[in-house]
Amino acid sequence: MKSVDQINHDLLRPVVHTSGRFWLVFVILGSVVLAAVGAFAYQFWEGIGVWGINRPVFWAFAITNFVFWIGISHAGTLISAILRLANATWRRPVTRCAEVITVFALMIGGMFPIIHLGRPWLFFWLVPYPSERQIWPQFRSPLAWDFFAIGTYLTGSIIFLLLPIIPDWALVRDKTSGWRHGLYRVVSLGWRGTPRQWHRLETAMHIMAVAIIPVAVSVHTIVSWDFAMAPVPMWHSTIFGPYFVAGAIFSGIAGLILAMAFLRKLLHLEEYLLPIHFDNLGKLLLMMSLLWFYFVFAERLTTWYGNEPAEMAVFWVTQRGSFAPLFWTMVFCNFLIPFPLLAISRIRRTITGVVIASSTVVVGMWLERFLIIVPSLSHKYLPYTYGHYRPTWVEITILVGTFAAIGLLYMLFAKFVPIISIWELKAGGHQKPAARAAEAVSARTSPMGAKELELRPES
Amino acid sequence: MAHKWGMAVDLDRCTGCEACVVACRAENNVPTAGEDQAARERVIHWIRVERYWEGEFPDARLKFRPVLCQQCDAAPCEAVCPTYASYHNQEGLNGQIYNRCIGTRYCANACPYTVRFFNFYNPVWDKPLHLQLNPDVSVREVGIMEKCTFCVQRIKAAEIEAATDKRGLKDGDFTTACAQSCPPKALVFGDLNDPTSEVSRLARSRRATLLLGELGTLPKVSYLEQDSWHSEND
Amino acid sequence: MERRDFFKISAITGAAATLDACGKPEQQLIRFIPDEDLVPGIATWKPSVCTLCPAGCGLTVRVMQGDAEVVRNGKLGLIRMGLAKKLEGNPQHPVNRGKLCARGQAGLQITYNPDRVRHPLKRLGARGSGEFQEISWDDAVKELVSQLSTLGQKNEAGSVAFLTRPLHGQRRTLVEVFLKAFGAPAPVSYELFDEAVLRRANLLSFGHAQLPTLDLARARYVLSFGADFLGTWNSPVAQAIGYGEFRQGRPGLRGKFVQVEPRLSQTGANADEWIPARMGSEGMLALSLAHVILNQKLRPSSPGHAASLISGWAQGLPDYAPEKAEKLTDVPAAKIVELAQEAASHEPAVGVVGGAPLAQANGLATAIAVNALNELLGSVDSPGGIFFTAAPPFAAGTKLPEPPERSQGRFGALNAVLQEILLDRPHSPKVLLLHDVNPVFAAPPDAHVQAAVEKVPFIASFGSFVDETSVLADLILPDHSPLESWLDDVPESGLLAAVATVAPPALYALYNTRAMPDVLLDVAHQLGGNVSASLPWKTYDEMLQAAFADVEKKAGAKSGDIWKKAQADGWWSSGEGSAASGKSRLSTSGTPSHGAVTMSEPQFDGALEEYPFSFLPFASTMLYDGSLAHLPWMQETPDPLSTAMWGSWVEINPRSAERLGIRQGDLVEVTSQHGKLQAPALLSPGIAPGVVAMPVGQGHGNFGRYAGHRGANPVSILAAAVEPETGALAWAATRVKISRVGEGKLILFAGGMRENAAEDENR
Repeated sequence: MKSVDQINHDLLRPVVHTSGRFWLVFVILGSVVLAAVGAFAYQFWEGIGVWGINRPVFWAFAITNFVFWIGISHAGTLISAILRLANATWRRPVTRCAEVITVFALMIGGMFPIIHLGRPWLFFWLVPYPSERQIWPQFRSPLAWDFFAIGTYLTGSIIFLLLPIIPDWALVRDKTSGWRHGLYRVVSLGWRGTPRQWHRLETAMHIMAVAIIPVAVSVHTIVSWDFAMAPVPMWHSTIFGPYFVAGAIFSGIAGLILAMAFLRKLLHLEEYLLPIHFDNLGKLLLMMSLLWFYFVFAERLTTWYGNEPAEMAVFWVTQRGSFAPLFWTMVFCNFLIPFPLLAISRIRRTITGVVIASSTVVVGMWLERFLIIVPSLSHKYLPYTYGHYRPTWVEITILVGTFAAIGLLYMLFAKFVPIISIWELKAGGHQKPAARAAEAVSARTSPMGAKELELRPES
Repeated sequence: MAHKWGMAVDLDRCTGCEACVVACRAENNVPTAGEDQAARERVIHWIRVERYWEGEFPDARLKFRPVLCQQCDAAPCEAVCPTYASYHNQEGLNGQIYNRCIGTRYCANACPYTVRFFNFYNPVWDKPLHLQLNPDVSVREVGIMEKCTFCVQRIKAAEIEAATDKRGLKDGDFTTACAQSCPPKALVFGDLNDPTSEVSRLARSRRATLLLGELGTLPKVSYLEQDSWHSEND
Repeated sequence: MERRDFFKISAITGAAATLDACGKPEQQLIRFIPDEDLVPGIATWKPSVCTLCPAGCGLTVRVMQGDAEVVRNGKLGLIRMGLAKKLEGNPQHPVNRGKLCARGQAGLQITYNPDRVRHPLKRLGARGSGEFQEISWDDAVKELVSQLSTLGQKNEAGSVAFLTRPLHGQRRTLVEVFLKAFGAPAPVSYELFDEAVLRRANLLSFGHAQLPTLDLARARYVLSFGADFLGTWNSPVAQAIGYGEFRQGRPGLRGKFVQVEPRLSQTGANADEWIPARMGSEGMLALSLAHVILNQKLRPSSPGHAASLISGWAQGLPDYAPEKAEKLTDVPAAKIVELAQEAASHEPAVGVVGGAPLAQANGLATAIAVNALNELLGSVDSPGGIFFTAAPPFAAGTKLPEPPERSQGRFGALNAVLQEILLDRPHSPKVLLLHDVNPVFAAPPDAHVQAAVEKVPFIASFGSFVDETSVLADLILPDHSPLESWLDDVPESGLLAAVATVAPPALYALYNTRAMPDVLLDVAHQLGGNVSASLPWKTYDEMLQAAFADVEKKAGAKSGDIWKKAQADGWWSSGEGSAASGKSRLSTSGTPSHGAVTMSEPQFDGALEEYPFSFLPFASTMLYDGSLAHLPWMQETPDPLSTAMWGSWVEINPRSAERLGIRQGDLVEVTSQHGKLQAPALLSPGIAPGVVAMPVGQGHGNFGRYAGHRGANPVSILAAAVEPETGALAWAATRVKISRVGEGKLILFAGGMRENAAEDENR
């Protein structure tokens, strides 16, 4: 069992020490992000014309990215909240990674409704404020709902993330000196670890955990209604709400696994992020993969059975027409590859196996968003208006930039906040996974215990 | 009684000549996309003449159908615009407020007729072609959606003139650019709230149908189907 | 003087003075030049004439105040003036009655085209290099005068050739009088789709060398042999108006329309029935229909004049019994009988012929056959049938009726002149004047137009644009655009009454251009002598006014009355041959005598084994014969059938394409015995397997930024085949072979081709 000091040392090291590799990765990711910003600036100046969209495919990469990143955001907070409420002890090293992913993915995803506008400098008209002309947003529009949904979810997730960080920030404050000490003293908001503070923190976290779940479910439902509320073949379907929520959780878990795997390698957290964590998340991923398959199968069977001409045009073009290669790739990536990897427990218990499965799922889920949007838009009701779509470098750069952005944000976060919740880990008593069973039940974070640890001087 | 503007398109009269297409772009300052943008499927035609083939040689047949904004009374585009740029006015028109449009393009996706168009770039008129621009119609900038307005500038001008002269508007006092140019008189514009107007008469025809009417958009353009030759003559 | 005039004069002189005095024109204040009756934001409507096709529809032009950069006194400046904003059909004009076709709407883009020639130009570099320098009008006219007078002095006045698109109205009079007085040959007219064969056939059949007026509104059955009468043929707007009534203008009565052609045209797409007869066999089909009617005695059979020309008619056309005709036309015998019975039993039935069926070696016989069929159906000069527009009572200068000796086919006349040049004949032209014609583009390669034109020592062009022919000129005297000119026309068809359309300019000239008639008058006066005396007017409008003065005298009207009314309305009619009487004056007494006409099989250039496809170039709805390719609206408006924009295409039947391994959009090479071209393939169910078709209009070398170097020109591979009697170009008589070259680019506006998407193979 690791000592408290060992834990502190391991988990605070990324915050306190900056290696040369950090700077290298920072520069690389930073350049990619800058390139994406530059691409957006080009589009801002010239117009959406620099993208590949056209008539009738008016939405493509940008909205795909939007839905994808909002989807990625779903696992984090949701998993963290559910696991907290269910008291699953294995969650401890995982929660902060998860909550962070949610916040950053939301921030990235939430930018796209602005990025994809024809006149992005007027995005603020989506904000309900009492304008001089008394014009409010048109509240019947699902895009207006998006604003509220994502805003609420982002606010809630940030609160949910920041609350449990406070004790750790206090720890850093106590363990450091100089400018770091000053900075962390400010952000730890005077945390002293008193029982009353612990009680408040616990209560607040409990409330948030309960509240965030319906918010998360509603957010992606509302995002799905951007499509379902429009009379477009294969968009206007009641399955979209649940389908999108399930898909979001699916892609979110995969994203979380990948993030954890990266952190484990880069920050040398092999002793903390253990195969059992990946195993458990892998089980969740397997469940979501099955759920995803169920939804897709149900939707397609119903469509095919109904044989409505406009829908069938979209159906066939994805199944065996020009979009077939992407469609079948998606099926492979989301089900045919992950399923065996995750169902066979021997493979699932290896981190590599789970990571491979997650990688294909991330790709597959991006493709899924794309395949919901573009084939339908390019085959609407009047065949005379069918069209094609091909992305340009601007859209591709922005897409790649979002991945670099989340990496960069994560990196910076890990530089300023311990990526594994130290106090929770200690409170759970860091042990080998095999021996944790009995302790898990009574391992509710003991305020006294944490305080006790904290007061011991650093040796 | 307020006007309710509508149109009738007689598919038996339409010859596919596309005079309407050019008349409309001349009247409404529709920008020319050019070859490169045309290849990227961004050409704007507020009214277009769709053509559909049926059968194979030698029994191939072709049908023409002019499609323009249907000014739906239950317009999907109006429901989804977050900024009220697409709205329904009191004369039944689906208005497009250019100044209010931020270019989400949701309306274009929601429109089942694909009659909404987007300005992907700032429109350019090689001088001096700009001298032809109609001063009664705004020129739209980049990022804005546009579509057929039933020549709302002509509607307004006619209404103002009639009000100034203290008389009511009569059927035929004015018409849209497309209907004005159409040689076989396939396009007829008028007030659906006036039961004596030509458009009302045609909307009551036994040949009248609605395009994608089953979607419940309540379009205000009646399409009069082609007659078969034998139905009346034998 | 009146206050208004004072302001006008001082403003104009003030403007001129200011423009002269100041430096950069772009930075000048806008000089206000008050235009009569122009209030900012309020439009006035001025009458005009559409000149984009021979129909001669009347226009009304919406003129509003605007700021334009113009050339005055050789300098660029910004002025406020009345600008043409929109063209509409003139509601009162009897041809188009307020309607206007797609091309007519685009006429504005000629006036405002960025590639217009703005000053007179003199050639600077090598011929054809496109290097010109701006010169003054004085110098330009002096140059032309000196070239002509040199010839005159050397007694070589006959070595002047005036090459033009067929002229109408007083313009024709002016040019003809000028040339005659000078001692030069009559103008040589050329246009690709000239319908000379039909005019000759109508002259022989009915005594009118002119295109027919179709009374579709009262017809019950229309049988069209290849005529694109709703798109580009004859008087499309008037015919489309009639067609609308034909279909749904009479409660309880809907006409039936049958189109006979191997490739479904925009017109044919509206037909109730499409008969894809073999190319060039339309005349034989007409005779076979006549055979059935004659032999089954479906109509009273007193043979008309046209019928009497056809050998075998009196015997009941035994060679064209349906079973025999089936082999010649690919139309089943039963169908021939059915059509004949239908036509005969649905009076009034009318036959129409034009376009490709007449652009064959057997074109004249085909036209006369259809004329005879019309006689048999009783539809000549009868409600629901064909009429001939009455001739107007002008002293001189109408384009109809054509004196028989000048009904020689346009291509023949052009070719004759070119041959003179190429063979260095003694009186071959030493001065070539070009007006509104582009033979380098619009004539087949074997005419060797470019080589011939290049040999002429001096070439002057009146063109507004530098195209592939005028780029060879030594001197360019840019004409005004139509809206800036005094226009007059006497429509040849599309109406019953005789009508003179006349209109003053709708807006001031933007640039340093001059109306061609004014230039000619100026040249005439500088030449002096006979020429000057024959043309005693300073400007063209003076000449027009004089023509009307003649009419006024004859009509007993007050001087100036008819002239003023004509200008205000945009047209004037004496009422002769008006719709009320419903009858035109058939002048069989005026028909020249002619031997029997024998129908023959069409002759195609290129052996069938090596060149398996018949090649059908067709007038494109938007670009017409290529003369409108420089208008961006026309490039961007989708072709009605293919929906193609900004390019060329080759229409091919899907089975034929499959056999050759050609897929939609593939680049194919089309080769005839006279040339080859490349264009993307478009698979179409509306074309017979043995035919490929291509729109005319693209493939310009020079012609501005919108038209230049775009697509391919089908005329560049045509054989110089002719209809023997008229010398008209048989542009549908070439055979080709097709092969796939690689990937091509088709710019189509449409996505799917079929309403039921599942049928669509190409998506």
